[in-house]
Amino acid sequence: MTWDIFTDLSAPIVMGLLLGGLYALIALGLSLVFGVMKLINVAHGDLVVLGSYLAYAAMTLLGFDPILSLVMGIPVLFLIGYGIQKFLMQRAFGISMEAPLLIAFGISLVIQNFAQIIWSPMSRGLNPSYAMETFNLGVIHLPVVYLLDFIAAIIVMLALREFLKRTYLGKAINAASQDNRAAQLMGINTERTYAFAFGIAMAITAIAGVFLGLTFPFTPQSGISFLVIAFGVVILGGLGNILGTFIGGMILGLAQTLGAYFFGAATQMLWVFLLVFILLAVRPQGIFGR
Amino acid sequence: MNITLPQWNRGLIFAAAVIVLLIVLPVIGLPLNWVLYLFLFFLYLAMANMWNLLAGYSGLISLCQAAFIGLAGYTLVILSWMGIPFYVGIIGGAIVAAIFALLISIPVFRLSGIYFAIGTLVVPEALRIIFLLWRPVGGGQEGLAGGGAGYVLKGATGVSMTELYWFALIIAVASVVFMRIILRSKLGLGLAAIRDNDSTAASSGVNVFRLKLSAFVIGALITGLAGAIFYIYQSYIEPISAFNIRWTMTLILATVIGGMRTEEGPIIGTIVVVILHFLLARYAGISLLIQGLILVIVMLVVPQGIMGYLRQFQVYRSLLQFVTRR
Repeated sequence: MTWDIFTDLSAPIVMGLLLGGLYALIALGLSLVFGVMKLINVAHGDLVVLGSYLAYAAMTLLGFDPILSLVMGIPVLFLIGYGIQKFLMQRAFGISMEAPLLIAFGISLVIQNFAQIIWSPMSRGLNPSYAMETFNLGVIHLPVVYLLDFIAAIIVMLALREFLKRTYLGKAINAASQDNRAAQLMGINTERTYAFAFGIAMAITAIAGVFLGLTFPFTPQSGISFLVIAFGVVILGGLGNILGTFIGGMILGLAQTLGAYFFGAATQMLWVFLLVFILLAVRPQGIFGR
Repeated sequence: MNITLPQWNRGLIFAAAVIVLLIVLPVIGLPLNWVLYLFLFFLYLAMANMWNLLAGYSGLISLCQAAFIGLAGYTLVILSWMGIPFYVGIIGGAIVAAIFALLISIPVFRLSGIYFAIGTLVVPEALRIIFLLWRPVGGGQEGLAGGGAGYVLKGATGVSMTELYWFALIIAVASVVFMRIILRSKLGLGLAAIRDNDSTAASSGVNVFRLKLSAFVIGALITGLAGAIFYIYQSYIEPISAFNIRWTMTLILATVIGGMRTEEGPIIGTIVVVILHFLLARYAGISLLIQGLILVIVMLVVPQGIMGYLRQFQVYRSLLQFVTRR
């Protein structure tokens, strides 16, 4: 990314806001798992990056367009998520408080190392023809992918909202997250519902991974940065608050682009981390949270 | 003067014998690679003990141990650039780590449980970026791996491996003795109360904040000591490995395999981890993958760890009784 072509402050602001869409998208899967299972999935960032790598593999091996490759990426990550919940987390919840956290930590390392073995530690990116194009907004030129990020985020969020509101499974997920016991008494198979919720969260993660790969280069070690971002968005936005998640994403996006604008691109993540850290310290329950 | 001598049971005699043996081993011609294995064992043991103190006994799942290790290492190396001797550098590194723990405790201690874990996870990441951007002293050698603040320890030839071995041994033994004392003191009792239920502990007059803070700062101090000694051995530091999550991973693995919330756990777990470390050295590319898998499997199959598992058996209990009987 070259920042010096933008002499105007409006460019980083618009970019930050658009980037907020991507961050909200990344955070959505974490928020869903957190909200339903009360689990902070520390492997979330690595799963997002795994989504990017799957699209990368589909692109380089099969010549698929990254966005089209989601036809494969979504089911694969859905199954991974379903499996993690069904075979690992379900048991871990019964063991101790820290067991799910440590297991997620183990999964995160496994994915990191796996990506490193298959795709080498080098930085990769998804570069279809449209990834380089720009569009004009008044006087500023912006990369098309930033707009795509934003649009994808809106579509996914609306779809998720409708899914949770209208379908049986969505209602079951809602019920199980509110009161596990009561949901069971109403005849909901909560274990299966949890596994589906994790799977759906990971399906969204696959989408986030593709748009992440279109926007930024990624390495096997990128996961942690995106975990922190996702976590920051969830804290800012509050749980289950779709508008809040969006605003949270935009605030972090702005922190990054403005930080890069004023202090150089190398420092951009530092400002995001700093903001998340301060947020945690000041209001761990979230700005828009209860 | 009336000094109460420790009561000499068989366990204590056994421990003393092991320590004496470990002290003389490098002098009586232990192969150098074995000295190295034991050296790493001592350092990991001290660090794992501290993680056990934090996560097992205080309920603080800290994922920022790498921050203490890296900062202590950097302090040591930077002080060496200023011509300050190593022992001062080791102590200085530990103190910087402890002060840093004190500073970050202001924000992270507002968090509990899993939020604390995430809050601490951010810390080494941020430090790594800072050290990639910032060169604390000198122009340094350009073109060194890791970019940013990559430093060679100055005058690294002054210390022999045997001396480092003894330093590490002292820290490891100190950390074990320290855990024994602390868990039987008021601090340990208070920490156990906090871990089990912090609001009950608070209402019974335990100063939750102060106790947790003491554990956190002590944990940082000793982890920093061990980290600084490691960097004398390594004699080179750069941000990516210094603030790497692998550090934290190793400590968690050692503690979880051996058994969290047991005193012997980290000792057994660290032996396993060091053996793994050298078995996997040939397959460095997949070592993290295997360690991650082991962590997941141990957590699911024997969440109480080796020591926790053994404690369930009568044979082990009677053996323990035999060893510790006076």
